[in-house]
Amino acid sequence: MKRKYMMAAALALLLSFNLPGQDARQIAEKANEAIEFKAMEMAATLSIRDGRGNERIRQIATASRTFGGVTKTLMKFLAPADVKGAAMLIYDYEDRSDDMWIFLPALRKTRRIVSSEKGKSFMGSEFSNADMARPNAGQFNHKLLGSATIAGKDCWKVESTCLNEDIEDELGYSRQVAYIEKGAYLTRQAEYYDFDGKLFKVLSLSRFEKQANGKYFAFHMEMQNRQNGRSSVIAIGRFQVGSGLEESYFSAANLEKL
Amino acid sequence: MNYERTLFRYSRIFILLPVLVALALMIPLRHARINPDLNAYLPGELPARQNLARLEEAFGKYEPILIFFETDDVLKTPTLERIRGLSKALNRSLKFNRVASLFDTKNIRGEDGAMIVGPVVKRIPESEAQRERLREEIRGNELAYGLVVSEDFHYALLLANPAKGVSDDEAVAMVKALLKHHPGEEKVYLNGMPYLKSEIQARTTRDMAILLPLGLLVMAVFLYMSFREKRGVLLPLSVVALSIILSMGLLPLFGWELSIIAILAPILMIAIANNYGIHIIARYQELNALRPDWNMRQIVGHALWHLDKPILFTALTTIVGVLGLATHIMLPARQMGIVSAIGVAFALLLSLSFLPAILVNMKKGKVRSGFAEVRHSWPGRLLGRLADVSTHHPRLAAGTFAAFLIILGLGLTRLHVSIHNENILPPKHPLRLSTAIANEHFGGIQHATLMWEGDMKDPAILRRMEAAAQQLEALPEVGKVVSLATVVRKMSEALNDPADPRYGNIPETREAVAQYLELYSMSGEPEGLEQLVDFGYTRASMAVQFRAGSLKQFRQAIGQMEAIVKKDPNCVLLGGQSLLEYELATSVVRGQAYSLAFASVAIALLLFLIFRSVAAGLMGGLPLAFALICNFGLMGWLGIRLDIATSLLSSIAIGIGVDYTIHFFWRLRCELEGGLSYARAIQKTLFTTGRGITINAISVMLGFAVLFCSALSILKAFALLILFSLLLCLLCALVLIPALSIWLKPHFLTKNCKHEKEIHDGRRPRAAAIL
Repeated sequence: MKRKYMMAAALALLLSFNLPGQDARQIAEKANEAIEFKAMEMAATLSIRDGRGNERIRQIATASRTFGGVTKTLMKFLAPADVKGAAMLIYDYEDRSDDMWIFLPALRKTRRIVSSEKGKSFMGSEFSNADMARPNAGQFNHKLLGSATIAGKDCWKVESTCLNEDIEDELGYSRQVAYIEKGAYLTRQAEYYDFDGKLFKVLSLSRFEKQANGKYFAFHMEMQNRQNGRSSVIAIGRFQVGSGLEESYFSAANLEKL
Repeated sequence: MNYERTLFRYSRIFILLPVLVALALMIPLRHARINPDLNAYLPGELPARQNLARLEEAFGKYEPILIFFETDDVLKTPTLERIRGLSKALNRSLKFNRVASLFDTKNIRGEDGAMIVGPVVKRIPESEAQRERLREEIRGNELAYGLVVSEDFHYALLLANPAKGVSDDEAVAMVKALLKHHPGEEKVYLNGMPYLKSEIQARTTRDMAILLPLGLLVMAVFLYMSFREKRGVLLPLSVVALSIILSMGLLPLFGWELSIIAILAPILMIAIANNYGIHIIARYQELNALRPDWNMRQIVGHALWHLDKPILFTALTTIVGVLGLATHIMLPARQMGIVSAIGVAFALLLSLSFLPAILVNMKKGKVRSGFAEVRHSWPGRLLGRLADVSTHHPRLAAGTFAAFLIILGLGLTRLHVSIHNENILPPKHPLRLSTAIANEHFGGIQHATLMWEGDMKDPAILRRMEAAAQQLEALPEVGKVVSLATVVRKMSEALNDPADPRYGNIPETREAVAQYLELYSMSGEPEGLEQLVDFGYTRASMAVQFRAGSLKQFRQAIGQMEAIVKKDPNCVLLGGQSLLEYELATSVVRGQAYSLAFASVAIALLLFLIFRSVAAGLMGGLPLAFALICNFGLMGWLGIRLDIATSLLSSIAIGIGVDYTIHFFWRLRCELEGGLSYARAIQKTLFTTGRGITINAISVMLGFAVLFCSALSILKAFALLILFSLLLCLLCALVLIPALSIWLKPHFLTKNCKHEKEIHDGRRPRAAAIL
């Protein structure tokens, strides 16, 4: 009898060790759900700074909508003047590599781009294309490291370590530590560590605004590269949940008409 | 004669003081650091260094490690798998910030109406057909063909640029470890500045650890064989040791770092710091044999009295000779000249104070009658033969020297300057083998960069860049030229169909260029593009890869690039590692000329002052001129190039080589003054001072001979040439100078001299009398 109690006590102990792991994953998943949008339209300014005081500014209008499991995104350059009118169309498939088209006004024609290098930098900034996509919680081992206060908000400190090298290569980092606001599940800050485990980039999210669908969206995102001193900021000027744009709008043929 | 009296009275102070000075100088010596950076050899104000700094400021430091793979076909699966594994590991490592290989270099092309962006090798071919398709694709990719793979596909190249703050040793060790972790059948060769610097560092450290004790050991054995007495070994060697500590201790004290050339400073000390002591010991032994009745004070006092001037003069000539290096353009040569000159001055001081102060406190050594004159020993017989030749056949002797001079002098026409830093290393070193591979199978190992300034999206500038690239590529020395214009043109090929007039051309409008570049920078790696154009699109670089086998070819290629800088208002600067190598090569020639001119004039002037005779200056200069012409001629015949080490040779050879003549003149003058005939005086001089000169010369040559054990090729060549030069100087002093003396009978030889006859007459020499 005594032995039975002891086993139960040991089992309870083991379960208690597992609990933080499960909690961490749930927190990460909820944080992902808190920012999920099926469709949106926005105008943003992307500032890319080289760490030596130089800055490149790009103004981009973006529309995104999912049709039959395929997320279609159209980005159009509004500024600077020399690239104004350039547009890019991306079809993001779940099960195969993206389709991409580019329209350059100087060429006055649309060209399909087949690229195997989509994983690295987003438009030449410190943001990676992976940062722009919704993370997949299943790609990581999650661990709750504790709590911390970020921008006056009480946050969970959740460490997410890539499950394998392929995922690391795809995402460009080995692990991230996210600071997720308790209750609201909003990621306020995320630290990315390189393949050697050293701090690589720090993402700061602010100006969260509640949208019509009840979800939040950060209107200010800053990515600082701690290793090369560069930083990039995405400032959202206009944001709209949902999009009334037809599927034909997201077609290669339409790029030239924009 | 107050000096000898003071010296003997306060002998302990004269012994202790230098030891304390040396001990104090050992403190900064602990902070000495080897600097293997050959660029640092040139003064910072040189345009080549300033231009390199401007390029690095604009585009970041690019000094990659090059890894060459050699096999029958680099597109075969095992080789590609190995390169892929290494490339991936290097990309993941924080120690490297830019990696270029078949798996990293971009392939941008147009196909079936689409622009294809990807690495040169996206997937490793599984069949022969796939492999051949890939080969064809690579042939059409000018960003890869001839750059990361050789035109015959026998060689592949992987470049990895160490990140900021990563030392050369760390980067090289990492590459070597990764190569071990990714083994393969291919032959692998490393190259690149970090590897060269790491090799220089390792070899210099090894040389410092091995050559110094070896030199001291060799010297100890030689001194024992020469003097057969412990004091004959320990006293000159202690002078050497103290002088080495002083000269090496001065380097960190002056804030200078150790260089390859700095290795020569202690070797120089081993070779020459005991010269003066040797003469005193030889004279002590000679007097001990001649006058067994004298006590140590009388012997040492007379030796000092008799030798102080020739020792002082020979030391002065050596100091002046090595000080000639202070006029050299290379900083380490200047530094070595200065510390060696101070070291020699210290050795002189020790030989005239520390050494006699110890000697006078010692008991008299065993009398060795053979040391009075060496007439009956084998060196004596040899010296006797030489004396016979110069006294009985002076014209024949002079004629033989003249013929030798002409034959070797003809080699001067074949003398070339070394233009490649890697020649520091042995010929079979992987770095030198891979340099040959790069020159033969790739665009060349030399890299120069032209910097353009202006609106880099302006098609007019890009077109001029294209024209400049074509002009350079037309030169036989130039392999590849890659610039922003190349990328824009490549983009135009990918974005337009071959039938389109825009295909393969720089676009007409600024907007089109901007859009091409925007698209390129969006393709994944903005930092890759920033090697070619800066963040603000105001400065662009044009990388020129070329090969140059000689200074002439180097000058030709550089000249063409400089012409572009002069002609084009937007092309503002020419720089890069090769420009520094070019500057180093030309500075070797200029440095050689400056130090040679300085040393020659200074030595001739010193001889004139010592003997108060122009004839002495001219006659004393003859062996030096003879030795140097023969030396450079021999370099021409043997194909040894003038480099950073051999360019130091003349100053050192002049400084040391003239000593023998001075000693000879000095004694000959004394013997003539003593009433001997020319023939007898020359014989006597050769049997007495000739022995000291020979021992001295052989000890110097032995000292330098340890450089044959150096791990650096240039120091081995230096050893051969300095030995040859000193041998010639010795032969001149033993044959040519006696022959010319008997032939010309110059007036300065019959001027007054300290009287040798006093010793034989039994009169107390003045020095001994006052003690």
